[in-house]
Amino acid sequence: MLIVDVLLAGFTLGGMYALIAMGLTLQYGVARIMNLSYGEVLVMSAFGTWFAVTRLDWNPVAVLLASLPLGYLASWLIYRVLMMPLVRRSGAGPALEVDSILATFGLLFLLQGVLLLAFGGNYYSYSYLSQPVDILGSQVAANRLVVLGFAAAIGLGLYLLLTRSRLGTAVRAVAVAPRFAPLVGIDVWRLSAIAFGIGGALVAGGGTLLSMFLPFSATMGVVFAMKALVVVIMGGVGNLLGCLVAGLMLGFAETLVARFVDPGLTLAVNFALFLLVLLLRPAGLFGRVAR
Amino acid sequence: MLEIAGLSVRYGKHLALDDVALKVGRGEIVVMLGANGAGKSSLLKAVGGMVKREPGASIRLAGTELAGLPAHRIVGAGLALVPEGRGVFGELTVRENLALGAFPHRGRAAEADNFERVQNLFPRLRERLDQAVRTMSGGEQQMVAVGRALMSAPAILLLDEPSLGLSPLMCKELFQALARIRDDGTGVLLVEQNARQSLAIGDRGYLLEGGRVVGSGSAAALGADPAVRAAYLGVAHGEAA
Ligand SMILES: Nc1ncnc2c1ncn2[C@@H]1O[C@H](COP(=O)(O)OP(=O)(O)OP(=O)(O)O)[C@@H](O)[C@H]1O
Ligand SMILES: [Mg+2]
Repeated sequence: MLIVDVLLAGFTLGGMYALIAMGLTLQYGVARIMNLSYGEVLVMSAFGTWFAVTRLDWNPVAVLLASLPLGYLASWLIYRVLMMPLVRRSGAGPALEVDSILATFGLLFLLQGVLLLAFGGNYYSYSYLSQPVDILGSQVAANRLVVLGFAAAIGLGLYLLLTRSRLGTAVRAVAVAPRFAPLVGIDVWRLSAIAFGIGGALVAGGGTLLSMFLPFSATMGVVFAMKALVVVIMGGVGNLLGCLVAGLMLGFAETLVARFVDPGLTLAVNFALFLLVLLLRPAGLFGRVAR
Repeated sequence: MLEIAGLSVRYGKHLALDDVALKVGRGEIVVMLGANGAGKSSLLKAVGGMVKREPGASIRLAGTELAGLPAHRIVGAGLALVPEGRGVFGELTVRENLALGAFPHRGRAAEADNFERVQNLFPRLRERLDQAVRTMSGGEQQMVAVGRALMSAPAILLLDEPSLGLSPLMCKELFQALARIRDDGTGVLLVEQNARQSLAIGDRGYLLEGGRVVGSGSAAALGADPAVRAAYLGVAHGEAA
């Protein structure tokens, strides 16, 4: 059935976008680092997964369980070692945004260079649960269902962490009012490192999930970082619900256009949607202009 | 209990706070009076680590030196600050603001008790636990700010003009709550423009002028001092109260 096809494809793609954007919004909205190398981390994780699956015979789901904490650790380290000097120097001022863009731009080329050196410019993929499953008369590759399920589970886990735990509430407090956070004993730098790390866990998990159903190459990180940024801004910086809605919007727009119009137009539709949202709501779907 | 000495704050060339010394004991309300720009907010911010202190300051709480600690460690050591403008998390709910009040370890042990206590102190908050603080009235937000500070089980509570912008009724409610907080054994350092009401509930007071402490005494003595009455209570010299 066509409608089931479109729904499943839209939710899988949109869910992936939402998940990746949530990580970026944590890094930008809480840690206040505009991480341009975000997409490269995604691709690194995809290649890491490919290596573990094809060379070490790991199950992709096991790789997912490893890539989440690894992504956290690596990003936490990047914040503590590479970003901390910039954070200190900026004194929480606006200089951090520019500095972090420059620094992560450098990191982008470094990571991409390493990937190109190791894997070249070709597309890679591996086969995982690619046999079709029948859902209400539609044939869907089983791996997409696995991806959709894990994306939903990780998104839900993040939501619960941020809204139900004290640590998560503290992370949101830093997002909305970093100046006041020390009043309740929150160490803003420590929490920023944690938020940056959680963002890294999400994008690493996203890379592993991506590799389960899409081919990937060393240079495609930029496109994903751009899409994630579009989703973050569309949804309203720092807003998880905004990420979810905007991510799904983007996923469905792409699916519909690719299916019924022309696959070559997806990017154009992305940006048309982006512009439309910004024209109607300049601070994003769920953002407030000033707080 | 809280002993401050040699506390100075400089904004560029301007010395906003000059070698201030003061004490706040357990279970007493100490009122800090001063005109606009006297340095009252700078004093509290300096104690709370929110502005840079000049070297040589000593801030001792129950004998422990706090002057070297960063802002986020001060509240954990027992000094909770409610700053000018309240500093609440407007996007979060009342419940979340109060839960964050217990973020420092010292607030964890008796968190449930303190949560109950804050709601008894400010019954209005009980009905509004899931409201976003930004949507509350100024007085209600002030209650959230004081409640949040109490959630860390502070030894000393530092309040910067909590009555600012409150209706007389709200103001009275708040001052009654402060008296109860004091009676529970917490020390309160209260910066106020509202000299009449604060001296009425206060135990002792200091006068701050141009960044210096220029006078101190019991609340009763300050309230009776003609110079204080002229400057802060709007009573002309020689006029009967
Ligand atoms: N961030 C700052 N930069 C420069 N000068 C400042 C700063 N904050 C305060 N000042 C100056 O320091 C002095 C003391 O300010 P402070 O806010 O402590 O006064 P205050 O006693 O709290 O006054 P008010 O009753 O109006 O709140 C003022 O002259 C003020 O202009
Ligand atoms: Mg002031």
